[in-house]
Amino acid sequence: MSSNVSVSPTSLIDHIVVPGDVVIDLSNMTNQTIKLGSGLRQDNDAISAMRAGKFSYSKPNKYWVESSHKRYIPRTEDHVLGIVVDYKADNFWVDIKGPQLALLPGLAFEGATRRSIPKFEVGSLLYLRVVKTNIGMNPELSGTDASGKASVFGPLKDGFMFETSTGLSRMLLSSPTCPVLEALGKKLSFEIATGLNGRVWVNAAAPRSVIIVANAIMNSETLSATQQRIMVEKLLAKISD
Amino acid sequence: MTEIVTPGEVLGNVSEFKAGKGAYVNDNTIYASLTGSRKIVSPLPESLDQRAIVEVTGHKAHGLIPQPGSIVLVRVTKVMARMASVDILCVGPKAVREKFAGIIRQQDVRETEIDKVDMHQSFRPGDIVRAMVLSLGDSRAYYLSTAKNELGVVSAESAAGETMVPISWTEMQCPLSGQTEQRKVAKVG
Repeated sequence: MSSNVSVSPTSLIDHIVVPGDVVIDLSNMTNQTIKLGSGLRQDNDAISAMRAGKFSYSKPNKYWVESSHKRYIPRTEDHVLGIVVDYKADNFWVDIKGPQLALLPGLAFEGATRRSIPKFEVGSLLYLRVVKTNIGMNPELSGTDASGKASVFGPLKDGFMFETSTGLSRMLLSSPTCPVLEALGKKLSFEIATGLNGRVWVNAAAPRSVIIVANAIMNSETLSATQQRIMVEKLLAKISD
Repeated sequence: MTEIVTPGEVLGNVSEFKAGKGAYVNDNTIYASLTGSRKIVSPLPESLDQRAIVEVTGHKAHGLIPQPGSIVLVRVTKVMARMASVDILCVGPKAVREKFAGIIRQQDVRETEIDKVDMHQSFRPGDIVRAMVLSLGDSRAYYLSTAKNELGVVSAESAAGETMVPISWTEMQCPLSGQTEQRKVAKVG
């Protein structure tokens, strides 16, 4: 351990850290069990950040680094938007913006049998769940939830898909509903599917609504809640005439 | 007589000779199909056909190739849901001169419960595995099997980068981090 600075865990919480920063010094904390989330690494007594982002804490003992990236690292149980790139031997190869193509078994759909595998053309947009992410293997996807029902998964027809950072996707999926979606929902009616892999799909009756929603979302990444509401109002004012 | 011949060279006539290894017949003439030394082998006294056999022996020492039934040492290159791709490194105790591709299918990993095999818990990319050649397979790869106690992972590196120590037929442990990883371990010794 090169750093001799004793760091109490509370000092860096909610601050931006960069890779290499020692965020927790375990020699100051005895008889405690802490849980390390993503972006943190343990070297004996020093817990250091592996990614640039905000050092976050949630009671009672969870620490992690929250960061936003253009690239997606697949995680099990994530909901993602994938694009079919190939179909070989009952399996679809799907691009999910990760380091490797993901495998979607043709049978991983509700009611699919060897004879009735859904026929998705190359280029189809699908809402899917990540099932397996083993190191060194292509991630595996499914078009059903854990109990085998289609639920929200499957092909997305019409509409418009655009790419975002992973941080923005997480904000759009947070609950309570994030300010930009709430403000848009008050005036417009639209459908939205958000993938944790940095892809968002929007559909509405009028193309104008689709464009407004997409632009509002893309603008909202760095805005605070109030700023998001003001931004949405300004955009909606442009079409209310 | 040991003269060097090249493919296409005339070796003789079917009336005088029979075509042996490295030679073939077209019309009534015997031609060489390899580059090497031309040899004449006398016929066996009991055989009906008393023609000498002309054959060509390649001048390069022929590389070792995997044959069905031979035990090979391979390195795993890719692990997928239903099979693992490997590079064949040695046939028996000798190293091969050129790369051969092999495949270990899910049903050939072990003898029992073959439909419940998890490829990721049997092999990882980079593992050295002892396997047996099942067949010449298809044009892309030999088909291999590890479905015996003495076949399976012989050497593997842990996530921490250290060579792991086998602790059972299904687990290996990293001496540095203490973490165990699952593999189809070969019974050595």
